Amino acid sequence: MEFGIRNGKVMVIMVTRINIGPVHPSTHGVLRLVADIEGDTVENVEAHIGMLHRGVEKLVETRKYLQSHPYMEKLDYVSPLAYDETYVSAVEAALGVDVKERAQYVRVIELELQRVASHLLFLGTMCNDIGQMFTMFMWTFEDRDMVLRLLEQATGERMFYVNMRLGGVNLDLPKDFEENCIAFINREEKRIREYEHYLESNPVFMERMKGVGILNRDDAVELGVTGPVLRASGVQYDVRKNNPYYVYDRLNFEMQTEHKGDNFARYKVRMLEIKESLRLIKNALRMIPEGDAIGMPVKLILPAAKNREVMVRREVPRGELMMYMIADPQSPYRLSIRSPNFVNLSALEYVARGCKTADLFAILGSLDMVMGCVDK
Amino acid sequence: MTSSYNIIGLWQAWLNSGNLLLSAIAVLIYAIGVMIVIAIFSYMFGWAERKIIAKIQHRHGPTYVGKYGILQNLADLIKLLSKENIVPSNANLRLMQLSVIFILSASTFLVLILPFAHSLQVANFGTGLLIVFVFISFMPLAVFVGGVSSGNKFGHISAQRSVLMLLSYELPMVLVVAAAAMLSGSFNIQQVVLTQASRGYFALLMPIGFVIFFIAMLAEFERPPFDIREADSELISGWLTDFSSPYYALVLFIDYTRMFLGSLLVAIIFLGGWSGPVLPGPVWLIFKATLVALFTIIIRATTVRMRIDRMLRLGWMWLLPLSLINLILTYIIFVA
Amino acid sequence: MKIEREKLLEKLEQMKKDGYTYLVKITAVDYVKNFEVLYFVRDIEKNDDQVISVDLNPDDVWVPSVMEIFKAADWYERELYEMFGVSIKGRRIKKLLLEKWDGTSFPLRKSFAWNSEYETEK
Repeated sequence: MEFGIRNGKVMVIMVTRINIGPVHPSTHGVLRLVADIEGDTVENVEAHIGMLHRGVEKLVETRKYLQSHPYMEKLDYVSPLAYDETYVSAVEAALGVDVKERAQYVRVIELELQRVASHLLFLGTMCNDIGQMFTMFMWTFEDRDMVLRLLEQATGERMFYVNMRLGGVNLDLPKDFEENCIAFINREEKRIREYEHYLESNPVFMERMKGVGILNRDDAVELGVTGPVLRASGVQYDVRKNNPYYVYDRLNFEMQTEHKGDNFARYKVRMLEIKESLRLIKNALRMIPEGDAIGMPVKLILPAAKNREVMVRREVPRGELMMYMIADPQSPYRLSIRSPNFVNLSALEYVARGCKTADLFAILGSLDMVMGCVDK
Repeated sequence: MTSSYNIIGLWQAWLNSGNLLLSAIAVLIYAIGVMIVIAIFSYMFGWAERKIIAKIQHRHGPTYVGKYGILQNLADLIKLLSKENIVPSNANLRLMQLSVIFILSASTFLVLILPFAHSLQVANFGTGLLIVFVFISFMPLAVFVGGVSSGNKFGHISAQRSVLMLLSYELPMVLVVAAAAMLSGSFNIQQVVLTQASRGYFALLMPIGFVIFFIAMLAEFERPPFDIREADSELISGWLTDFSSPYYALVLFIDYTRMFLGSLLVAIIFLGGWSGPVLPGPVWLIFKATLVALFTIIIRATTVRMRIDRMLRLGWMWLLPLSLINLILTYIIFVA
Repeated sequence: MKIEREKLLEKLEQMKKDGYTYLVKITAVDYVKNFEVLYFVRDIEKNDDQVISVDLNPDDVWVPSVMEIFKAADWYERELYEMFGVSIKGRRIKKLLLEKWDGTSFPLRKSFAWNSEYETEK
């Protein structure tokens, strides 16, 4: 108990400092939060990270280019393929290797499938965090499992794919992939519509989501949040549109934005992105050319790097991933990873200030981070 | 049939014999019987909840222990009992135990004084309904004591929420009960059931009241979407966070006991209690209570948890005015 | 774009006025002979990215805090301090970002013997 001044009056303020995590049902891994709670209102919250710090940036410096390839996937274990791809693109840019035409389509298809899987996981965990214990979670996991099965067909692995190779991919899409994929998309589109209907016609859900954790446009830019969180605040920025890579400029898709910047907008943007990604995959499957997609085999000694300084930017499911690499001939001299989760989590302290205790976890869920990538 | 009625007749003769010893024995026998019913209901409810939620979530639920996993809860119970009881250093163990024991004994006592049939009741209080709701109002306070004495900060927050919740639903609930008492012209629970047998179920006579009472009951017994006190994803387990092994087993048992009590109350006050054709009274009552309990399972699997301030708003902006309207309408239509 | 350390704040403020309101990342590279701190800023409307780099002498590694200009710099500066030992002038760093580190040696510097512990054990 302490005394403090509120609205010009001296009052007794009961502030409880409460430690949340790293072992807690809804901290998504090993995040530790220290929150000052007055009654049921969060006065202040501080994130303590680093429990999953593995020093990937340092580790990479001591390895040859393609040795550190699988490490990148372990950064974000929910969307490993996207990280895999970004790192390989950075190496490609350093070595000056071009990606084959068909391989570009294959990569886009796999990346978008990964995005769908990642956003489905978001939907499940988000619902868990606001207290819908496990029904939505199990349903979306069922769907995510189908995506993983498709990716397993395409890459031979279920969780950590390591499918990207310099100039192409390790395995081309199998023959019946298109058929399976279209079947999945048709089913999934229906399912997503159903989920939206279930959730948005539930008044308690809407109450918990709307107007909670508002991050307006200026703050979002100021705090540097990325990806769906930034777009939910009404900022038109998507690396796939603003700086197109691969064949994204040839494929027909829309950038999804919302303008409210609350939990609901963040949820809605991700739902719209799932739909858009599914359309995009359909589109890419239609346009994919015949030919060779297999990349260079994995070798320790590669042709020496041509470019010294390389910057690659990609729109991964959680936002903009940037890899800035100073390249030595055979290994990275320095690899700096701009992780989207890191920035989004850093915004939590600003967004969650003054919200209710229950909403703290809803906001945490809506920021959707993976601790592996925050801690690096 | 006749033999069973004879037994009940004998039991009643003992109960009303005026001999203190005989009445005590009769009450004891009845209490043991009620405890067995509660235990069986709790066990089956726990199993059904796991199975039904698993079905809704496209899982299998327990399968390995016993047929359809029916012995899973027993296995869990044995596991919990065989574990070490860990008490945090800054917890007040006595108060923690006391809070749990109070809730358990209060809910068991309330089940005890509810009528299972016309002749099957230990004591037919003239103010039965009032007694029931006095005891029910004390339960959140026991939760408060348990939460604070556990010495856990999540428990503290949970305790605060418990009192806030009490403010939100208690008044509407009591107002609805007042309307029910007005309809039957008495606070006697037997009378409430008998009135329903002659005038129709109160659920049909005052649907608004029924819905309000159901919501208040969900809130009272910590069922989703009002499991705000022990919100799993926020407060870990709220006031139960620091209860371990045998006490946790006890708490789980209490949860189901309270569920049974809640369903019984809904069945008695709104769904006509033991009245029904062909089958004997107690069977009808337990059948109705089971239906209510199963309905709460479906609610649990499909809704999102409410926030405490929204809960207060719901209580004061909707439930309270509606319960007043219910009271007035009931008076105008049925009594005046 | 390389600039002097003393002009950094002025430059960033100017850039922010010009529309580069979004800070993408602050990072550093240890070239042993010199030390480079990079600021990635972006103009979202014009879709334009700029990199501003500051060269530092390895004996005198500090940069001014840009927290006043970009709130997003908060965690990046802490990371910079912890990983590279770049002191941030004008800002007291309350706590390290990745707590478990002792704060005396800086893992992302080239001089850091990253598996020394393992070797001494042998």
